Amino acid sequence: MPEVSKMKKPDVKLVLLGDMNVGKTSLLHRYTERKFKDTVSTVGGAFFLKQWGPYNISIWDTAGREQFHGLGSMYCRGAAAVILTYDVSNWQSLAELEERFLSLTDTANQDCIYALVGNKADLTDPRAQLSQDSDEASKDRMDCGEERTETQVLSACPTPPASPASLSGITLGKQVTPEDAMALYGRILRYKGLEEKSSLPAEKMCFETSAKTGYNVDNLFEALFDLVLPSILRNKNENQQSPTVDLEECRGAKRGRPGCC
Amino acid sequence: MERDNHQVGETEGVKICDPPCESNPPADTLATSLSLLGNHMFPYPLERKHRSAVEEEPADSLSDVTAEEESLDGEPHSHQVTTLETEETESSECQNNVSTQQLDIENEDTATDNERSDSGEFVVTMLAKAKLEEQGLGVKGGSSPLLEAETQEPPAFMSHRDEDVTADSWRQHRKHVFVLSEAGKPIYSRYGSEEALSSTMGVMMALVSFVQSGDNIIRSIYSDGHTVVFLQKGPLVLVCVSSSRQTEQQLRGELLYVYYQIISMLTQASISRIFEHKKNYDLRRLLAGSEKILDGLLNLVDSDPCFLLAAVQCLPLASSLRDNISQILQKAITPNLVFSILIANNQLLTIVQEKTVIEDSRLEPADIHLLLNLIGASSAFQAGEIWTPICLPLFNPDCYFYAYISYLDPPECTVCLLLLSTDKEAFYAVAECKRKIEEAMMAQNSLSLIAKVQSYSVSQVGVSDLRHFMYKPFDVPDTYQQLTQFTSPEMEAPYSSEEEKMRLLDLYRYMHSRIHSTSRPLKLIYHVAENETLLAWVTSKFELYTCFSPLVTKACAITAITKLLRWIKKEEDRLFIRYPPKYSTTPNPSKSSRGGKSDQQDSTDNGFLSLL
Repeated sequence: MPEVSKMKKPDVKLVLLGDMNVGKTSLLHRYTERKFKDTVSTVGGAFFLKQWGPYNISIWDTAGREQFHGLGSMYCRGAAAVILTYDVSNWQSLAELEERFLSLTDTANQDCIYALVGNKADLTDPRAQLSQDSDEASKDRMDCGEERTETQVLSACPTPPASPASLSGITLGKQVTPEDAMALYGRILRYKGLEEKSSLPAEKMCFETSAKTGYNVDNLFEALFDLVLPSILRNKNENQQSPTVDLEECRGAKRGRPGCC
Repeated sequence: MERDNHQVGETEGVKICDPPCESNPPADTLATSLSLLGNHMFPYPLERKHRSAVEEEPADSLSDVTAEEESLDGEPHSHQVTTLETEETESSECQNNVSTQQLDIENEDTATDNERSDSGEFVVTMLAKAKLEEQGLGVKGGSSPLLEAETQEPPAFMSHRDEDVTADSWRQHRKHVFVLSEAGKPIYSRYGSEEALSSTMGVMMALVSFVQSGDNIIRSIYSDGHTVVFLQKGPLVLVCVSSSRQTEQQLRGELLYVYYQIISMLTQASISRIFEHKKNYDLRRLLAGSEKILDGLLNLVDSDPCFLLAAVQCLPLASSLRDNISQILQKAITPNLVFSILIANNQLLTIVQEKTVIEDSRLEPADIHLLLNLIGASSAFQAGEIWTPICLPLFNPDCYFYAYISYLDPPECTVCLLLLSTDKEAFYAVAECKRKIEEAMMAQNSLSLIAKVQSYSVSQVGVSDLRHFMYKPFDVPDTYQQLTQFTSPEMEAPYSSEEEKMRLLDLYRYMHSRIHSTSRPLKLIYHVAENETLLAWVTSKFELYTCFSPLVTKACAITAITKLLRWIKKEEDRLFIRYPPKYSTTPNPSKSSRGGKSDQQDSTDNGFLSLL
């Protein structure tokens, strides 16, 4: 794992939040180790360092258990991106995000970006069932990702979340549709007091993934890494010392994000 | 552990016996229900013969040992129990000794015979009901009517969570452990899902409260082949149903470990607070995901003698290497860091403590066992650096430490560094300590030296008949703050299979129970079992358990022990952590008291209250 040589102060912080058993650890494990294996319930939080170009991105994989709830805000302090994870086959896991986890992000950076990730897509979506283990599959993966984004755009009108029955009926067991997630994304922006226009669009920030098959996982992490780059650069310029970001600075720095990827 | 072993017993306890009930159908159900059950057919060579055998009273020198030799016969087990009970009931006033069930209750007032029969009946009826209910449930597929509709059940992690609780295989588990709240809500079951067992747990609670209503405390129930032990700790009730031949004290000690493990995750303060606010709170909400930690603990309790001995076994290591590593840990410090612990192959390699901490108190073996279990149970994801709150219940049951856990040798993941801080926000500072430790260890090539270290073989002692031993030195007064340790070689043939290991451990447990018997403690016991001969000896300086080949003579065994003690003396620098090193972090005046160690408000600020 992190070798002594490359251990530096992380440049930016990314946090995985979500109810237990939605697959946060598995997602990260799929991305870092290219493997899917049985995990045990995470204790507290686990810290990882990912080299992304010249930068060190720290990723906090948190425990979803209520037992560790109180630590959430500590893990989120100064985060540049928060990945809110739910299980597409479990409506409650999406509801928990709003009820239990959203308030934890109060300690995140002012310009923190939020991604909504529906994991376990392989359970409900035939496209996600294809195993994407090897590198040569990465092209497919990109295709799938784009394809998916298109579908999302087509049905972009957010539906009220109180309707788990509003599933498109394609596959069995699907309880959360992308529309539900996007509606929640809208509410998150409102909660944060952010303008929908000046923020990243919902289609871009809502993902469906499968840690089991690898579907869309790289896409998710890489898109987010690219999106936090501006935040890294700001940190580099202004605040080398502390892993926490000065909120004043951030407010001034404005959230002009390049429309990459 | 000892503090909880009240002397209950045969002499003080008043037995509440069942009314004559041989032809009484509920009694049959009781027998099955109580023992959870089925026939216990665990092959156990130790019959309770010792009751009639002559015991050697305290003897300090080995030379005047007269041994109690026990031979085996095929006498059925239940016979023994019945005889035993007859003896006991004779001494009490209760005349109803037809049945084999008996309740052992710590009685504070005197009940009349009449009342006793009533309570017996009550128990019978209650348990019979539960049994029937459960059988009914089994038909419905294991879901319970008491299951709350709102609870979203997490998918079962382990097969034994799905176990059919009505099946015989479930009953035949050697040791069941249940945890429930005072409101009778299931919190944990070692086998089977808590929901499916909610009525059984309801009965357990009924027993507890029924006895409580008479200002008594229920402590244990003995039935044919099973022992049921109850332990009440604050708002939690822990119950063990065991068909092993362990004593009540030993089982209660194990329940206490389960309680401590729960405390280490939630703290005693927050558990009492939660139940003060809401009596019927479902604690599984907070423990969800921790079942594996409790499962792991119970497996460890069954397979590792460290719990029995209440001592820590450290990795045998040349003292120079251990000192070097300790010095590395001593140098990598940061404010509020209080313990630096290095673990290799699940054994303690070294432990370095903040100076003021060790002046106030020492780290109890039980706390270290809990830490080791936590690491073992959460090791599946070894890549990251973990930061988690953890309470050390014997150090301070109400506060959290923050534990930094990281493996130094990925991907093998055998050498684990554990740093405990009192500062919730200190992750980056503590992680920096790890960096320093890692660098220093790399420079000294310590990791590859550690990798070569192995447990030792009993053959190194050079005594031919000696098969295995456990040696626990007692702290000498002037270094009483040292960690209680023991040493023991690998279990080798003939104890290489799991069954044989367990059998040897059971023999040791038996020897331990004789030595630590509350009514008749022994200093020395020589026990001839079917396949081996054991000798246990306790003095003011040490406690020793040895296992010899069956044909050893008493004289041989005594010479062997002399040789063994000499060998241990020679090797003690390698086998034990002799002087746990200390360091002092940046002076912080508020750090002198135990309570001030971990920041008190953290337990409140940890989110538990927000749930209520």
